[in-house]
Amino acid sequence: MSEITSKIDRRSFLQKICYLFSFFGLCIAAGVYLLFAFPSRIREKQDLYVYACDEAELPVQGVRQYHVDYPLGGKTVTKKFFIVKTGKKLLVFSSVCTHLGCLINWQRTENRFMCPCHGGQYDIQGNVVAGPPPAPLNRLPLKIERQKVYIGLRV
Amino acid sequence: MRKFFEWLDGNFGIKKPHRRFLYRSISEGVNYFFCLGGIAFTLFIMLFASGLMLAIYYVPSENEAFASILRINNEVRFGWFIRSFHKWSANLFIVAIILHTIRVFFYKAYRHPRELNWIAGSLILILAFISGFTGYLLPWDQKAYWATEVGTSMARTVPLLGPFLCDFLRGGEDITGATLVRFYAIHVLYIPLFMCLLLWAHFHLVKQQGVKGGL
Repeated sequence: MSEITSKIDRRSFLQKICYLFSFFGLCIAAGVYLLFAFPSRIREKQDLYVYACDEAELPVQGVRQYHVDYPLGGKTVTKKFFIVKTGKKLLVFSSVCTHLGCLINWQRTENRFMCPCHGGQYDIQGNVVAGPPPAPLNRLPLKIERQKVYIGLRV
Repeated sequence: MRKFFEWLDGNFGIKKPHRRFLYRSISEGVNYFFCLGGIAFTLFIMLFASGLMLAIYYVPSENEAFASILRINNEVRFGWFIRSFHKWSANLFIVAIILHTIRVFFYKAYRHPRELNWIAGSLILILAFISGFTGYLLPWDQKAYWATEVGTSMARTVPLLGPFLCDFLRGGEDITGATLVRFYAIHVLYIPLFMCLLLWAHFHLVKQQGVKGGL
């Protein structure tokens, strides 16, 4: 064993290993910190009007369900909402339950919007009639231009 | 790099007075249980770092606190990780301190001439408990609220001063946004400040008196 002559002794080898690991540890910590501290949303939310359907396709009376696709953060997101026509009034409701954010459905037989999660119920005007929701359904703005219907979303 | 540190130390002169401490021979009978204090200190550093990070996003207000916790968990990159990191380090911090205390107790290291260091250590343990208690309210959810309701009600049982103490802790008769801000200030300003002072005293005394080895 005594023939082996290394240029580096045990102590400084261990020291170098320690420096190396500390350096990598610091780099990882710094990376996590920068990713954490850098804002994930930089621009403010804006109104985005997306095309929903043609004016002729709107419900004459009652509720109709729609899906729209819109871009969000480089991905395409599908959003479900309802257009309600009662009398002369035309309303757009978000399908997100105001209780804990489940997606509600329109039950024609009950004449109610029903949430499958905790039994929240809304009438055709979007008001809470039963269950835990703290607020009526969110109304979305609607715009009709050249016989085309656009829904306003905050993205 | 080495040159830079040498230049830095040439001005600060921090290496020389610590050389004797860092290269001293350790007393006999020292084993791995003597690492518990160091583990607790490491956890403190981890808590400090992750706490600094969480403070960027946390909002200590009645209406915003819980929403900001959700934001940290769901929207901020690594937010869930940093919050869990802070929480787990906090739990383990208390565990490590208690194990360290037990070690010191059984090795009779609290006796003269180290009695002042035992006092400093006890104060650190109490501060760690206060930190845990105040930090528990900050998520501002049901569990936090009722835990604080119970905890501050205990102060009411103190003879004579009880009711005043309870009102003082809560910043009013009930737990409100005032309590939240109060606890937040204690958690992020008062405790780290006093903790750093006490830790300095704790380590200074260890340096002064050396480690007591053997049973």
